Amino acid sequence: MTKKNSTPLHRPYDQILPWLVPLLLLALWQTGASSGWISTRIAPAPAAVLEAGWSLAASGELFRHLWASTQRAGAGFLIGGGIGLALGLLNGSFRVFERLLDTSVQMIRNVPHLALIPLVILWFGIDEEGKLFLVALGVFFPVYLNSFHGIRSVDPALVEMGRAYGLGNRSLFRHVILPGALPSILVGVRFALGWMWLTLIVAETIAASDGIGYMAMNAREFLQTDVVVLAIVLYAVLGKVADAAARWLERRLLRWNTAYA
Amino acid sequence: MNTHLPPVQDAVARRPHRNAKGVGIRIDSVGRTYGERTVLAGVDLDVAAGEFVAVVGRSGCGKSTLLRLLAGLENPDAGDIRLDGRPHADEREALRIMFQDARLLPWKSVVNNVALGLAAGHKAARATALEALDEVGLADRADEWPTRLSGGQRQRVALARALVHKPRLLLLDEPLGALDALTRIEMHALIERLWREEGFTALLVTHDVSEAIALADRVLLIEGGRIALDQRVELPHPRERGGARFAALEEQVLRRVLQHPPAMGRSAAAPFGRWRWAA
Ligand SMILES: Nc1ncnc2c1ncn2[C@@H]1O[C@H](COP(=O)(O)OP(=O)(O)OP(=O)(O)O)[C@@H](O)[C@H]1O
Ligand SMILES: [Mg+2]
Repeated sequence: MTKKNSTPLHRPYDQILPWLVPLLLLALWQTGASSGWISTRIAPAPAAVLEAGWSLAASGELFRHLWASTQRAGAGFLIGGGIGLALGLLNGSFRVFERLLDTSVQMIRNVPHLALIPLVILWFGIDEEGKLFLVALGVFFPVYLNSFHGIRSVDPALVEMGRAYGLGNRSLFRHVILPGALPSILVGVRFALGWMWLTLIVAETIAASDGIGYMAMNAREFLQTDVVVLAIVLYAVLGKVADAAARWLERRLLRWNTAYA
Repeated sequence: MNTHLPPVQDAVARRPHRNAKGVGIRIDSVGRTYGERTVLAGVDLDVAAGEFVAVVGRSGCGKSTLLRLLAGLENPDAGDIRLDGRPHADEREALRIMFQDARLLPWKSVVNNVALGLAAGHKAARATALEALDEVGLADRADEWPTRLSGGQRQRVALARALVHKPRLLLLDEPLGALDALTRIEMHALIERLWREEGFTALLVTHDVSEAIALADRVLLIEGGRIALDQRVELPHPRERGGARFAALEEQVLRRVLQHPPAMGRSAAAPFGRWRWAA
């Protein structure tokens, strides 16, 4: 948060208020668990989750899983997002490519990519490629669709102006088309980040030998509810971090847009 | 066909500002048809280098179409347009069009908007753009986003952006349509001064007959797809709007414009709806 954005929230009272309900629930949960009202098999005490996190961190195992998951997410995102962006820009810019490819892409889009899991396991086993493939596929569509739409909805009046002011195809793309499509592309990126984690969770719980999803499934077999809850919390935190990064990117790249300023 | 009105008495001698910097225009029986609707048919027009021509006419009569043809944004279905005797594709760099809406790129700062399309290196382009901004009195807003400017300021930036290329033909499509009366008069003075200094040929489309008479050497009326009136304005600059001869001329032209009933079936649709940047 920049200082500019937090104008009305300077009193501590205002800042605490939104956290009151979550903190209260947490406290209730803690007392409920430690007094035995809630079975620890259903929901471990928050303190127990923290403790599990601490011991896993101390042994270094936590970071191994975290690193494995982050790596997968990042690589899958780069591959799927890169292809989606390239194809979206291509199809948005050239009618030939749109005619050639868009129908096919739209057809594949109608298959929920998680439905491919059995097939993916057949193809790749539980190797790394299968998970990358799924994540990339999940990321591809939101990025593709929004890049394509972004290009197509660039104000034609601005494009005409660019042409009339002597811009060639290349500078037109750089100065008019791409910046005009950027807000839409970044919306695609944010959607894609959501899909990225979701796909990864499913893929890791089904077929993996490391990563947070694997950690959770493993813990389930040993009835370590605290580790399971820890994994869920970690996913939430990672999702939040990714979203914050996307927002930061939006604020940086779309400074000109009053909606983000 | 051109119904010349009787010239105003004791006409001022033609001003000596015309020079080689402007582009001469020759339009030869140009026609433009959209589907069933013939917008322009057999338009003939000669504009001398450095002349200031205003184009008036009822809404939908084809003023913008004529300007778009001249700018090369569309091609005529019939006839021929030559700039300095050359086909128009050779002269694209010599002309700049200023649209009714400013069409600034919201993602570029004011100065970078003005520098759009300048070939020089970053530093040199910026310096040139700043100079042009200074001309229109907005040098102090150079590094702001265009969205922070008022409508009149945006139009001034658009004017600077057109002028930075040192055009030899400046096409203005109702650039002042959305501005209040005071700002318009300020912009008139600005355009007139720049035209005088730079010596370009200017074509100004306007709804406003008094604006046309205040600025132009000639006022053209488009009606029924052709040029129905070609009126010289031989008044000394700067022109006093209150003056008797000004008022008489305005009255004359206005009465001529109103002689015919409005054209039927005007569609307000933007003409570039089907347009695609690369196909
Ligand atoms: N791309 C297009 N497709 C179909 N018809 C068009 C197109 N462009 C313009 N027209 C039609 O041509 C006619 C003249 O349009 P033009 O924009 O030249 O009018 P104008 O004189 O500039 O009017 P105004 O003063 O209201 O701007 C109108 O009837 C309009 O509907
Ligand atoms: Mg018009």
